Amino acid sequence: MKLERDSVKLEERIDTLRPLLHQTGNRLGLISSIDGKQLISLLLNTAENRAVCWESPLQTNRYHSLAPVISQAHWFERTLWDMFGLEPENHPRLKHNLLHEAYSIDLIPLLAEEPVSSNGKSREYSPMAVKGDGIYEIPVGPIHAGIIEPGHFRFSCLGEVIFNLEIRLGYVHRGVEKRMCELPWGKMRFLAEAAASDSAAAYALAHSIAVESCFDVAVSYKADFLRTISLEVERIAMHINDLGGMAGDIGFLAISSTMGRLRGVALSMAEQLTGSRLQRGFICPGGVVFDPSEKLPSIKASANWLRKELKPVISFFMSNEVVRDRMENVGKVSPRLAADFGLVGPAGRASDQKYDARHHFVHGVYPRVRVPIAMEVGGDVLSRAKVRIAELESSLFLVEQLIDGLPEGETCIRLPDALPNNASGIGIVESHRGELIHLIFTDSQGQCCRYAIKDASVNNWTGLAIAVRNNLVSDFPLCNKSFGLSYSGHDL
Amino acid sequence: MNDINTDVLRSCSHWILFVSSIAILPPVCLTLIRKTKARLQSRIGPPLLQPFYDLIKLCRKSETVSSTMSGMFRLASVAGLATIILLAWLTPWLSYKPWSPSADLFLIIYLFALARVFSLLGALDSGSAFGAFGASREVTLGLLVEPALMLGLVALGLFCGSSDLRMIFSYPQTIGGGAAAGAGAAGIWLLVGIAILLASLIELSRMPVDDPTTHLELTMVHEAMVLEASGRNLALIEFAHALRMSIFFGLSAQCFVHALASVCRINTLTQGILSVVGIFGIAIFVGVLESLAVKLQWRKVPEFVAYVVSMSLLAAFVAAGNGGIKL
Repeated sequence: MKLERDSVKLEERIDTLRPLLHQTGNRLGLISSIDGKQLISLLLNTAENRAVCWESPLQTNRYHSLAPVISQAHWFERTLWDMFGLEPENHPRLKHNLLHEAYSIDLIPLLAEEPVSSNGKSREYSPMAVKGDGIYEIPVGPIHAGIIEPGHFRFSCLGEVIFNLEIRLGYVHRGVEKRMCELPWGKMRFLAEAAASDSAAAYALAHSIAVESCFDVAVSYKADFLRTISLEVERIAMHINDLGGMAGDIGFLAISSTMGRLRGVALSMAEQLTGSRLQRGFICPGGVVFDPSEKLPSIKASANWLRKELKPVISFFMSNEVVRDRMENVGKVSPRLAADFGLVGPAGRASDQKYDARHHFVHGVYPRVRVPIAMEVGGDVLSRAKVRIAELESSLFLVEQLIDGLPEGETCIRLPDALPNNASGIGIVESHRGELIHLIFTDSQGQCCRYAIKDASVNNWTGLAIAVRNNLVSDFPLCNKSFGLSYSGHDL
Repeated sequence: MNDINTDVLRSCSHWILFVSSIAILPPVCLTLIRKTKARLQSRIGPPLLQPFYDLIKLCRKSETVSSTMSGMFRLASVAGLATIILLAWLTPWLSYKPWSPSADLFLIIYLFALARVFSLLGALDSGSAFGAFGASREVTLGLLVEPALMLGLVALGLFCGSSDLRMIFSYPQTIGGGAAAGAGAAGIWLLVGIAILLASLIELSRMPVDDPTTHLELTMVHEAMVLEASGRNLALIEFAHALRMSIFFGLSAQCFVHALASVCRINTLTQGILSVVGIFGIAIFVGVLESLAVKLQWRKVPEFVAYVVSMSLLAAFVAAGNGGIKL
């Protein structure tokens, strides 16, 4: 797919973007910058399946915030402030997102030139103080119990009820986007898929499509099929994992251990397909690295077996009275708020957001092959579980169909040695978490000068903070699991 | 001369049996629960002696004590364990026991409450938000479960015409059958046994009220209270908790053994063996329950407690009608 570029003056930016974003079918992909001298606002048009990048040249490092009118922008602008030192005016809650107190005030990682002087403010962070009778705070993290990534949660509670949750991330910021620009393009894919390893296939695919769109080439049908199988197998493994995690968080050990076993089957499908359980090093720009055709019949058999095996387990899980009681009306996100904050993936679809990137943007066999959009209107934990279950079934079915219909042909086309000059490319993939965007811009020497990644978690972390309001403190872990968010995909 | 020797010998052997039961039964109970859960999940599970190894490991570790804590934090765990050991001596949770004074059922219930007060003080003294909300939840559970436990024991008191637990739990044949034997009696014992078993799940913060295996601090009750404890201090708390569990399981098992004894004659040796087997059986049952149950939402816990209370209440009514009130 092609990244269309347009420009709009900074003063007219909000007036131009606002009506566009309020049109149905348009959504905000991301807001960022290439080298700190302009703002780029990526608009995704789902009616015509286009991606338009609006550029607004900047004279100073200040601009008017879009967040007061488009709520979703608030998180992008915070990251932009950290990465480029661009300060939004009238931002409702401007705080550092990725760079903590430990980083020097003068550090502006993605700015092409060294800054002349610091912006004068210290890198301080103060969580929102909620005051009142009986309000107390529970700080959790950044180091959590169990083997999960770090993030800090600050709960302001009234008894057992959560009044406000503030989420602080950035603990696994590794400078992925900057490092991407320093690598020769042939090696970028290894870093891209390592950025969030539980979505390695989705990341590798988004990266490959972005690079291919830079070169303006299309891969073979066969490669498209194999890439889709890889993406769907990852979705299957992760959806099983997330459902098992939800069962574990309500203490349903029978289901959580069974899901663990079944995830193992999905991971071994991945291993047969790509040689690696987490699907590293398979999808590459130009196609896929090798042809796993002779393994496909046994992958198909596994998918079939898994589909039959999952059915009784899921019905045992979902028919339990207490399970329904724990999930129903817990962690609700209303459709309006889901739309305002641009929730994507299963979390968005559970709140009546009819958006699945597989229906709009070219990746693998999509959007030629249509998958049913799993939708729910409840917006609660139960709806998110139901969406995952429906997607699990459709993905398993799709894997079998794709293996049956695998076309003949090459698995990989050869790409030129250097990226084209002054080019740009975009890859949009529906990962198991939702919409994943990779953007690439090259300079006049054909070197990548800006690589931007937007994980689905960037949209959905705010969704979690909204969902837990007025819920019980002890239901937070379940809400959290139902969103299934990534720390590393957000922090990069 | 010979008679005195046998008496001394018997008394000694009872003491040895009893003390070793206090030391061995609680960790074995823990293992049985863990092992059952593991087998039901197709895992091998921890070795039989794992809780002993854990306690030894904890005793060897150095302790981390926060600067905001006072001496209460460490005193609470020692006092808590002492209270539980006293309870182990007073409560008739095993058939074989050395001499013990008479123990009023209300004394027992409030000694359990005292042990809880110590663990609350320890949790509050830790100064962490987790300790505080764990303590708050524990108090809520304690308030809810107290009537269930009390009604259950009072039902037995009404039935046997005494509030002395030593008298209540002295097998029917020794007090001469009568109203204390027969199918009706077995029914009351069974009802109270089940009520105490269910109440103990709440009292001990086990499923479906609290998930003892969870790593999620925000959902914990008992575990949240001991998060700040480490080293020897934690070993004391862990052991006290395991002993408390054995006492509750034992009390419930005693009710079941008494139910059996009221319909058929069983000798002292069988009683002793059955009381231990009963504890193990209950531990395995709890393991099965914890594998299949789903943790209740916090707001639904009172509903579960209501079942337990109504079971105790039923037992009390039946006992009042059956045994007559001779208090």
